[in-house]
Formats: sequence, structure tokens, C-alpha cells
Amino acid sequence: MRKMQSMFRRTSHELPGLNMASMPDLIFTVLFFFMIVTHMRHDDVRVRYEVPAGTEVQKLEQKTGVINIYVNSEAIQVNGHVTDLAHLASVVQAERKAMSPENAERLTVSLKADKHTPMGVIADIKQALQQSFALRINYSGTESRHP
Amino acid sequence: MFRRRYREQIPELNTTSTADISFMLLIFFLVTSSMDTDKGLLRQMPPPQQEDVKPQDINKDHLISVTLDAGDALAMDGTLLTPAQLTDELVNAIAHDPKEHVISIQTDRRTSYEAYYRMQNAIVAAYNRLRSTGREVPMRISEQKPQE
Repeated sequence: MRKMQSMFRRTSHELPGLNMASMPDLIFTVLFFFMIVTHMRHDDVRVRYEVPAGTEVQKLEQKTGVINIYVNSEAIQVNGHVTDLAHLASVVQAERKAMSPENAERLTVSLKADKHTPMGVIADIKQALQQSFALRINYSGTESRHP
Repeated sequence: MFRRRYREQIPELNTTSTADISFMLLIFFLVTSSMDTDKGLLRQMPPPQQEDVKPQDINKDHLISVTLDAGDALAMDGTLLTPAQLTDELVNAIAHDPKEHVISIQTDRRTSYEAYYRMQNAIVAAYNRLRSTGREVPMRISEQKPQE
């Protein structure tokens, strides 16, 4: 019987190719997952910093009306602009002006400071923020289980 | 003589590259986005001090003094301790005087931010522990200007 069949139909020795039709669907799923869980990075951070760790940190729920200040012992950056202490208050005020009134009202400053920054710098920044009435401050830190 | 059947099927669209395109999109999103959520200790600062307003006097009995010196040594009312011990001591001290107490924080300009953060974290931990028992404890913290 086999002999007969092989006379008319050649048996193929090739392996069937793997069906790749679902591959794009899989990758699209991963893509959508990443689009949902991540958010766009809007600042080009030019200050190297490593935030300290704490056990009591809470998630900053507010997404709009946040000014990020990146600090290390050498440089200060407010959102996208590298600045210095003397201009900090005016830069913060300019950033606040650019916001909608609702956001400007509940303005929060997220202070992302390097852990080796001396407190003198932090205190000066806090004073400048106080002068420009940016009073809600979030000391940014990573969460650690053990103190 | 058999004539070959004429196939009327429309040729299928070649979709092999869809995977590549979506991979490129995926990598683009991976590069441009960040996953880190902003976490931290939220604080409300007092408005700037007016020249003509006299600072309020606080009864010494209600004052809890927490200091950090230039070498990051943490002390409460003059005795050196670790942040974990500070939490325990503060829980005791605040429990005795929940309404009137004031924690006075004094740092040095050379204190590192990390030490300051540990101290703030310890203070928040103390309040959280007290509040977890169902009591209402207002957060009363007064920060001094760092020492030169």
C-alpha cells in the first residue's frame, strides 16, 4: 500500500513550519501592558541622584500639579531646567504660572534629593520654596522593608 | 489529460512583519517610559515667617528635642539613639502628651540628607504606630534652621 502511494504522491521530508500567526498578537499584548503600567518620562534628568530609603513612604497619588526638583550636592534641576539656588524661587514660580489654576492651587513639590546632599542645601531649597508659597513637599524615597 | 484546476483564491496578505513592527513599538515604549512611581514622605510646610509676627512660645514641658549633628549622630533630648529607638521613644513621649507635644528638629548644615530622611521616617513611623491604635494624634513638628 505504501509503495503504491509513493508512486503517485511524493512524501515530503520537510518539517512543517512553526505557525507564527499569533506572534504579533502576543507582542501587542505585551505592548499594551507596558503602555498601561508605565508613564512617559517627561524630564531629561541631568542631575545624578540616589534617593534615600524609608519604611513609611507613601505613593504620591497626585499626578498633575507636581514640580520635580532633582538635587545633589552640586546641582539643582527643576523639572527640565538646571538652575541654581538664587534662581530657584523664580523658576518654581514660572513653572507654577504654566499650570492650570486648579493644579497651581494644589501644587506639590517632589524633592528628589541625593542621599549625600548636605542639609544646608536642602534647607536653602526649602526656604526658597516657602518664599514662593510652594508648601506641600514630598521627600521622595524608595520603599524598604527593613529600617 | 487533466487540466490543472484554476485557483480562484486571493493570495493572503503577508503578515510576517507585523511582529517586527509591534516589537519596534514595544521597544520604543520601553525606552521612553518609566515604571517608577513616585513614593515619599508628604509634608506641609508653614508659610514664610512674617517680620512683625513674634514666634510663639512653647512650654518646655511639651517640647521633644530631636537633633542631628554634623556627623549624622541622632539624639533625642540629649541622648544618642538609633532611628528605631527614636521611634519607640517618640511613641512613649507622644502617648503621654498627644495634644500639646511639639517635636523640635535641629540639624546641622553638614548633616547628610540620608540621616535626615531616616529621622523623618522614624518620626512618621512613630505617628503611624500611634494612629494605628485608633487615636487621633496631630503631627506637631517644628523645624529649626540648620546650625552653621
